[in-house]
Amino acid sequence: MRLIPGIAAIIALLAAGAGFAGYSLSRDPALHAAAAKGDTMEWLRADFHLTGAQLAEVRRLHDSYAGSCQEHCRMIQEMTHARDELREAHGDKAALDAANARLEKMRAACEGAIAEHVRRVAALMSPEDGRRYLALVVPRIANFDHAGAPDLRLNRPN
Amino acid sequence: MNTSQNSLSEALQGWRVKPPADPGFRQGVWRRIGEKAEPAWPGYIRAHAPSLAAAAFLAAGAAAYTGSVMAHSQVRADREAIVVAYLMDLDPRAQAALKP
Repeated sequence: MRLIPGIAAIIALLAAGAGFAGYSLSRDPALHAAAAKGDTMEWLRADFHLTGAQLAEVRRLHDSYAGSCQEHCRMIQEMTHARDELREAHGDKAALDAANARLEKMRAACEGAIAEHVRRVAALMSPEDGRRYLALVVPRIANFDHAGAPDLRLNRPN
Repeated sequence: MNTSQNSLSEALQGWRVKPPADPGFRQGVWRRIGEKAEPAWPGYIRAHAPSLAAAAFLAAGAAAYTGSVMAHSQVRADREAIVVAYLMDLDPRAQAALKP
């Protein structure tokens, strides 16, 4: 019957509209834009409903944390190089163990500093958003080191 | 024989069929033409309304669900990517591993 293709086309159009509506209602354009740009501050603002004042305070915390982060980074690099030199020299095992222990201690200190920083950031958010932020970030902090460098899929601005 | 043939011929010549007039004949013809020539969209849809409505409902529901699942998947991927970028900024261990 000639009517059936026409009716099928109408149903297909209706389904396409419903699919588009379902997609549009469930997507998060602000999150997508932030992820596409690698803009982590924009992500915090949009995903955790930060006001301008909250975002400014989060930026201030991040800026103050950045200095200690760079220092920790430099120390980890130095300790890693020292440990690697000892390992390549096949030297004193006790010295190598001590170097490894120092490195692990520094890594643990870094992990503690990151955890402390994210708790401060969470404290700036509403209780609900703060809980969600911590649930998203804290479990990854411990795994981040062991997982190695993550894939850098993002076109990050800096 | 000739006489009977002539009488038959005369009878046939004089025979006139006069059927009774049917006042609804024309209307009946047009009605039947209309039934055949109707575009059938309204009629077909009326006749199959339950099954067409069910098909449209199922197709739209499945499409909306699929669209929603795709969007949620996109949100999860975006969030995972931005959290990784965020922790890269925060984590000296990851930065030390990436620096030469």
